[in-house]
Amino acid sequence: MAINRLSFFRRLSWLLLLAPLASCDLEQDIDVDLPALPAQLAVECYLENGEIPRLTVTETVPYLASPEPVVPTDVTVRLTLANGQTETLRFFPGINPVTRKAYTHTGTRRLAARPGDTFRLEVTDTKGRRVTGTATMPARVPIDTLEYKFNDLPPERREAYVLTRFQDPVGVGNSYLLQIHRDSISDEAEVDYDVEDRLNDGTRFALGTSFRFDPGDTLLVTLYHIDRPFFLFRQSVQDARNANGNPFSQPSSIKSTVEGGVGVFTVLSYDRKQLIIPQP
Amino acid sequence: MTLRLTGLLLFGALGAGVSHSVQAQVRHTLTGIIRAADDGAPLPGATVAVPALGLGATTDANGAYSLTLPAGRHQLVVSFIGYASQTRDVNLTRDQRLNVPLATAGNELGEVVIEGTGTLEQKLRTPQMSVERLTAKEAKLLPALFGEVDILKTLQLKPGVQNGGEGTSGLFVRGGSSDQNLVLVDDALVYNPSHLFGLFSVFNPDAVQSVDLYKGGFPAQYGGRLSSVIDVRMREGNREKLGVSGGLGLISSRLTVEGPLGKRAGKEPAKGSFLVSGRRTYFDIFTRQINKLSEDNPDYNPIPDYYFYDFNAKANYTLGPKDQVFLSGYYGRDQFGFNSQGGFNFGFSWGNSVAAARWNHVFNSRLYLNTTASFTDYQYQVSNKLDQFSFNLGSNIRDYSLRTDLDYAPNERHALKLGIQATHHDFGVGRLQAGSGDGSLNIGSTVGYTGVEGALYASDNFRPSDKWQLEYGLRLTGFRSGNQGYVGLEPRGAARYSLSPVTSLKASYALMYQYVHLVTNSGATLPTDIWYPSRLSVKPQRSQQVAAGVSFLLGEGKYLLSNEVYYKWSQNQVDFKDGAQLFVNPDLDSEFLFGKGWAYGNEVYLEKKTGRTTGWIGYTLSWSKRQFLPQRGTSGINNGRVFFPNYDRRHNLTVVVLHQLTERLNLTGSFVYTTGNATTLPAGRFAVQDIYGENLTAVPIYPDRNSYRLAAYNRLDLGLVWKMKPTNWFPESDLTFSVYNAYNRRNPYFVYFDQVRAGGEDTPVTSFRARQVSLFPVIPSVTYNFKF
Repeated sequence: MAINRLSFFRRLSWLLLLAPLASCDLEQDIDVDLPALPAQLAVECYLENGEIPRLTVTETVPYLASPEPVVPTDVTVRLTLANGQTETLRFFPGINPVTRKAYTHTGTRRLAARPGDTFRLEVTDTKGRRVTGTATMPARVPIDTLEYKFNDLPPERREAYVLTRFQDPVGVGNSYLLQIHRDSISDEAEVDYDVEDRLNDGTRFALGTSFRFDPGDTLLVTLYHIDRPFFLFRQSVQDARNANGNPFSQPSSIKSTVEGGVGVFTVLSYDRKQLIIPQP
Repeated sequence: MTLRLTGLLLFGALGAGVSHSVQAQVRHTLTGIIRAADDGAPLPGATVAVPALGLGATTDANGAYSLTLPAGRHQLVVSFIGYASQTRDVNLTRDQRLNVPLATAGNELGEVVIEGTGTLEQKLRTPQMSVERLTAKEAKLLPALFGEVDILKTLQLKPGVQNGGEGTSGLFVRGGSSDQNLVLVDDALVYNPSHLFGLFSVFNPDAVQSVDLYKGGFPAQYGGRLSSVIDVRMREGNREKLGVSGGLGLISSRLTVEGPLGKRAGKEPAKGSFLVSGRRTYFDIFTRQINKLSEDNPDYNPIPDYYFYDFNAKANYTLGPKDQVFLSGYYGRDQFGFNSQGGFNFGFSWGNSVAAARWNHVFNSRLYLNTTASFTDYQYQVSNKLDQFSFNLGSNIRDYSLRTDLDYAPNERHALKLGIQATHHDFGVGRLQAGSGDGSLNIGSTVGYTGVEGALYASDNFRPSDKWQLEYGLRLTGFRSGNQGYVGLEPRGAARYSLSPVTSLKASYALMYQYVHLVTNSGATLPTDIWYPSRLSVKPQRSQQVAAGVSFLLGEGKYLLSNEVYYKWSQNQVDFKDGAQLFVNPDLDSEFLFGKGWAYGNEVYLEKKTGRTTGWIGYTLSWSKRQFLPQRGTSGINNGRVFFPNYDRRHNLTVVVLHQLTERLNLTGSFVYTTGNATTLPAGRFAVQDIYGENLTAVPIYPDRNSYRLAAYNRLDLGLVWKMKPTNWFPESDLTFSVYNAYNRRNPYFVYFDQVRAGGEDTPVTSFRARQVSLFPVIPSVTYNFKF
């Protein structure tokens, strides 16, 4: 199992420092004078075989601005498919009923994507801003087995962990995202973390959870084989978010998978299995 | 033994004529050791002077002095702050030894009330500039956080020294980072001198005699770090009698046992002594009880266990008139543990192990030899266990070092130092082991290197005339790791010119190399820090510093006013790429970024060491800057623009006052004002939804590094030491009261941005706000100290 960051220890150290004084009122609102950054286009797009391509285009805003996302309406989105055809995604904001995700642009046909296929994205607006990105679909890595085990606590406090096993292909550079949803993938994932094969290339991975699942839970375990740029984007997002509120952390810039703006453009490749935790 | 024959001219007006007239006479050398009369401990920094000749010397770290005088009768004055001065008549007909015991002023607070001269004059006269000495006795008088006296934190009150944040013991000296400090305890290196993530230093005040902090003008015997030398000397045990001392505080207790080794011979103290000291925090005892009381509550989250402890030991023994041996040791650990009710165990421990053995040999009154073998190890270990799965990671650095230092004083104008040093480094850059009980999972990875570091130096303290004194030297250093090697030549120099008996001008220059690098991007001292050698693309760090100053002795010698300006420029400063993979990375060198640094400033310092009221005022105006140009496939830092490191402070004012109200009551206070830390706040954000789910996540976008300044920091601490009446059980005891942050200022520790919601956690975000977090409110504390 790969270790990606030591940020956990920084958070831990911060908790240790504050623990004795948690009861004191040591926080207060303050006014801050922040530098003004130019507004950039922010893109979020996850292509998936068999699904209609959709993406979200917003703008970056000052941190203390209104929480409502700024959605530019003058954006043109072009998606170049693996066969070289270019499809223009129309501006048609909506909510995906399956994922409950908001999107601003949508295609009309379901996508055909196979491992190794490369797609290109171009996002332009009338102000001259242009965001481009390229993504290749990784090979699917199947889940070998799903295991669970209960703790030794009394029945009313009994919980299980889940172990996901799979074989990492030979060759350093593979990255994975494990998500476990309870009951439906529309809800927020119970487990969501990334690993890479930097230290155990070509071996059989076993990704575990803590004791957190109850008897009777229906779990949807998804193993994404993700490309390196997407992995780095996710890491940088975590780092950037962790740095807000952690005095031991060095703020990190976002490693976008697109150029000319911020955000992510990738093709999903995953295996999903269902696991029902039985009564012990 | 590091003989420091500074050739004090206590009465400079007489100096010139006398020194010329005595040159033709027969001369002899007087040597000896100045010890405390009560416990036989040597007194480093004591003065042995012949006022009539304007000649004198100060004692070295072992309390030894050497003074070359014309044959004949002389009146010697032996003095040391806190001790009653003694006058001795000697008739010098040959080289002689004279050991002088000095009695204390009668109580522990005596050192601040004894009238006398010495220290301030020494500071005025020595060519060594940019140095601060602090004794544990002084530090114990000052108010402290939670009542825990910390000699390194006290050094933060000196000009040119910044802290790394509220309450932390890290030192940032003249624009250098905390990993650029050479921390020595009895000549052995300490890699991480902190407990509890930097809140406390590893130095138990009961085991420490004094600490010297060199900010610039580094003597040639020191090397290996760029910014400062923190030379901690452990206390030697009582040579007169067995004694026990200790203290009971809010969060820890201390106990020290010391006594003589061997029998006393007449009035002479025993041939040796020992000292063993330990301390331990005990908030884990309370948290365990709280956890135990709540173990039946299924919703209760247990409080993690945390404690630290350390032990110090020192022994010395005089083998004969020319030989003495010293053994010093330190062992400390921080322990953090968490056992969840669900079977998840987490352990985290870290600490230093340090040992040094020194042999001191006196060839004759002009030639001394010290040979020191030392060992140091810093390591941390993290272990997780979940059911049958275990996960362990760690890192360490271990040094074996041998050095020999020769002190030779051919005449009263020259004091030569020669030395050679070799160190073998083991860098355990990262260890990882993960496995399962059934053997289905077994991952291990280790990244480690070795390195050899060597140094050869020579220096001379030369007094060509009464007005001039020079200290110059050259240090040749080398480092090798794998197939790569580096060599550095480090010239050092310092000069003092006396404009008058009360005014000195000083200047210094030093070039330093640093061959080992701290791998961290936290900007703070953390237990998970990793040390990395100069290898592959990672070149040695290098810095040069020039400093100039003027010192005035005012108020008939009661005050010393100094002003120093400095400019320091550095190359190959290290930082790391955004999102760098710092742990168990065989290609760690590719994560480094290299840049330049500059620091300059002006330090004003007024101190008073005698009288009922003592203390100091320091003010520093300084700038510290860094630049990392685009490199290695990155845009560098801030796209190559110059930025301030987070410890850059424009203004820093400290006021420290110690006042003896009565013989038993001492009042102290310290005030600090400093410019706020430079820090980085997100200026923008964008929204990310992730693959699934309807939640919007605000992703921060950061502007240039450290482009925001926290509010200024200021704090007043008050203290009171009440020496209690002697009893049969405790002939010496006191109660020390401290009030940290007396006016309860909410000093900024950091700022973060928070979401404001309409209601509970599931309600929509209505706005964002900036929140400032402070670490410590007003904290009163009391400590009981005893000695018998």
